Amino acid sequence: MSKIKTLFESNRFKSAFIPYFTLGDPNYNDSIEFGKTILDNGADILELGIPFSDPVADGPVIQRAVARSLKNTFSFEEIFRVTKAIHDHKPETPLVYLTYFNPIYHCGISKFLDHAKESGIVGLVIPDLPFDTEESEILFRELKVREMDLIHLVTPASEKKRIQALSKTSSGFIYYVTSFGVTGERREFSVDLKERIKFLKDTIQLPICAGFGISTPEQSNQISLYADGIIIGSAIQRIIEENGSDRTKAVSALAEYISKIRASIS
Amino acid sequence: MGKNLPGYFGEFGGRYSPEILTEALDELESTYQKLKKSKKFKKELEYYLKNYVGRPSPLTYAERLTKLWGGARIWLKREDLNHTGAHKINNAIGQALIARFMGKKRIIAETGAGQHGLATATVGAMFGMETIVYMGAVDVERQNLNAKKIEMLGAKILPVTAGEATLKEATSEAMRDWALNVSTTHYIVGSAIGPHPFPTIVRDFQSFIGTEARAEFKKRNKKLPNAIVACVGGGSNSIGMFHAFLKDKQVAIYGAEAGGLGPKPGEHSATLTYGKTGFLHGTKTLIIQDEFGQIVPAHSVSAGLDYPGVGPEHAHLSQIGRVDYRMVTDEQALDSFLEVTRVEGIIPALETAHAFHVARDVAKDLGKKKDLIICLSGRGDKDVTEVLRLLGERK
Ligand SMILES: Cc1ncc(COP(=O)(O)O)c(C=O)c1O
Repeated sequence: MSKIKTLFESNRFKSAFIPYFTLGDPNYNDSIEFGKTILDNGADILELGIPFSDPVADGPVIQRAVARSLKNTFSFEEIFRVTKAIHDHKPETPLVYLTYFNPIYHCGISKFLDHAKESGIVGLVIPDLPFDTEESEILFRELKVREMDLIHLVTPASEKKRIQALSKTSSGFIYYVTSFGVTGERREFSVDLKERIKFLKDTIQLPICAGFGISTPEQSNQISLYADGIIIGSAIQRIIEENGSDRTKAVSALAEYISKIRASIS
Repeated sequence: MGKNLPGYFGEFGGRYSPEILTEALDELESTYQKLKKSKKFKKELEYYLKNYVGRPSPLTYAERLTKLWGGARIWLKREDLNHTGAHKINNAIGQALIARFMGKKRIIAETGAGQHGLATATVGAMFGMETIVYMGAVDVERQNLNAKKIEMLGAKILPVTAGEATLKEATSEAMRDWALNVSTTHYIVGSAIGPHPFPTIVRDFQSFIGTEARAEFKKRNKKLPNAIVACVGGGSNSIGMFHAFLKDKQVAIYGAEAGGLGPKPGEHSATLTYGKTGFLHGTKTLIIQDEFGQIVPAHSVSAGLDYPGVGPEHAHLSQIGRVDYRMVTDEQALDSFLEVTRVEGIIPALETAHAFHVARDVAKDLGKKKDLIICLSGRGDKDVTEVLRLLGERK
């Protein structure tokens, strides 16, 4: 059974907290400290971003994080080293990668997955790889033999027929995009969020986690009433952006924020 | 995905864009399929192309260039004579009509040289649609005349400062805007790039270029040309020119891409020469990228060729060897720009100047009594300031 499936079946929480941050911002060693801090303060699953030069599904905060990260020399070795260090700190917490497809394709799918698995990764989120592509099918098969998950995005614009079709090659959880547009903090979400998530739960036999735009404990609390998990990226990345030049300060700001969100959805 | 439209060209193409856009892409595809069969739509498109754009564009015999180059007879397909000065208007009108049919009142576009932005702003004004143009901040500077025109036409330019602040970043930003406003907005993609069905739609709206050129050449010469040449940025004027000739095996086809300053990564936009298979802006195609799959910034003296990817159909045509893609450096393009201007009294766009350089070599190789058509994709008014600046640097 996949590690993510086990986690959700454990009933340890009302709603899972799934934070995201970009590896290498502002440098790879600080990423290790940020990862440890986030794990220590209540992440149930941690999403690590592999930077890609052209992140079309991301808003300004994550775009800037990626740009800062890519000022460092990029290498998969660094990515896997940092991932492993974070994983070793708390091996029971599932780690997943969020990245665009091009770097994975370029690395070579099997080679990438072998290294990722060795470093502690149990799943992938790829915002520009729709499920109905040959590449997605290959990836799903390759992940399955390694007991890893392919986490697909579903959006307020996804049609019902598509959602049904998508469930065949989805595992782990569904990443439900709460609003139109790209990642970034928002004040409001699409009006029928609750109904959409309910429909998804009935259609796909997987946990439904909501992300894109969530930033405050109040929002998390609200959405946790009906979603199986809360995904937060930009708000965390903003803390790193604002405090990143001072590692100690960044670590304590992250600790405070993560524990607050965790408490809001318990 | 596209059962009736080819979403893939060999192994290239497809749809690799964020899920939020899928429904809009499906809607676009099915609307286009319906309109393509509709006589009314065809008539409407032809009406605007004839009475607003000025089609068919003439095929000019370039007597003085022919003499100077001393080889094949040179013919020019004059897209520079279109309203707004380039081929981009063909596609902008076509897509604006689709947008209108879908009930979308807001159109957005990305632009490099500003020609597609200008074309979109123009149709936006004509059809009374709110128009937003994403343009790299660097390009707003180097193509300032077009930027000014776009604003004068009532469109809004949103300069993009991320990354290299050129066409690639403008394209990403337009995709993000579309993801946010997908229910009210149509994204008029400006080249034969992007997720399916864009490469097909853009190609179809540009195929008038090749269809007209082929028919007129045949009528006047009772035969087909021996070769055709066009410049390749994203690849819209070229695919439009090439398409009608693909099945004519006796016609040699050449694409001119930007060799920039040289072969080092970051110094050129020669995707078909140096690119590797990858995924960018919703399509699987050849891309200039590093060993880790990060996209390498492109460079070209002409803002319209300054893109690290290329339309997937070109990637396919290159792979199967139907088209011979060649690199032209900034310097060579500048020389051709000056030469054509002085010899023919036509100021070509810097993009087109790349095609002229390749054409000169091809014409010499072909020799006399053969015929070659160059797609003169646009006029060079927009480039005059930049060319003067570059000439100043040369001294
Ligand atoms: C005159 C002209 N030719 C060519 C191009 C390159 O684009 P494409 O390859 O799509 O024709 C441009 C782009 O702006 C242009 O303005």
